[in-house]
Amino acid sequence: MAEMTADQVLDCSGLPCPMPILKTRKAVDALKVGQVLKMIATDPGAPGDIVAWTEKTRHALLASEREGDKYVFYIRRQK
Amino acid sequence: MAEKLVIMCTHGPESPERATIPFVLATAAQASDVEVVMGFQAEGVVLATKGAAERVAAPSFPPLKDLVAAYFEAGGAMLVCGPCVQSRKIDPVKDFIAGASVVNAARFVKECTEATNVLVY
Repeated sequence: MAEMTADQVLDCSGLPCPMPILKTRKAVDALKVGQVLKMIATDPGAPGDIVAWTEKTRHALLASEREGDKYVFYIRRQK
Repeated sequence: MAEKLVIMCTHGPESPERATIPFVLATAAQASDVEVVMGFQAEGVVLATKGAAERVAAPSFPPLKDLVAAYFEAGGAMLVCGPCVQSRKIDPVKDFIAGASVVNAARFVKECTEATNVLVY
């Protein structure tokens, strides 16, 4: 994956569903439109959840990757 | 919010997982720009009483009190079945947490028929 830069980082490691989504929502709301959040999670359901959440809320999932037991997502606030 | 989800809860502290999952769905829906109304019937009405959520923790889920707090913070309300409250000798004025209120069947019918989807737990 190409090197991504983020305006904010949110670490949701160890948090069970639905907390990563709830915290991601708050973190994205705190961004300016166009800014990027890097979110880290360990919940195995997170990859599917983030795809569904970004589609539902129409924010942009720019990239996702797995680093060991962690999932890393880059989300751009769109509106 | 164009979409509306009604979630009916019929279990309380006697069934921690069944009491918790409705709040998981409700808070995730709120975070996804979906309007949520939660209705409580049968043993589920106990969740509207002071201290009840604090007693519920299902394995692998967040503590129920955290989910209830998130639900209210996102603007949620608890609609609680009147006869179910009466039969359990619950006093809404004394025993309910803030954000909970008694309703009867017609209100539930209105909420459900206006909703995009209704989930029953």
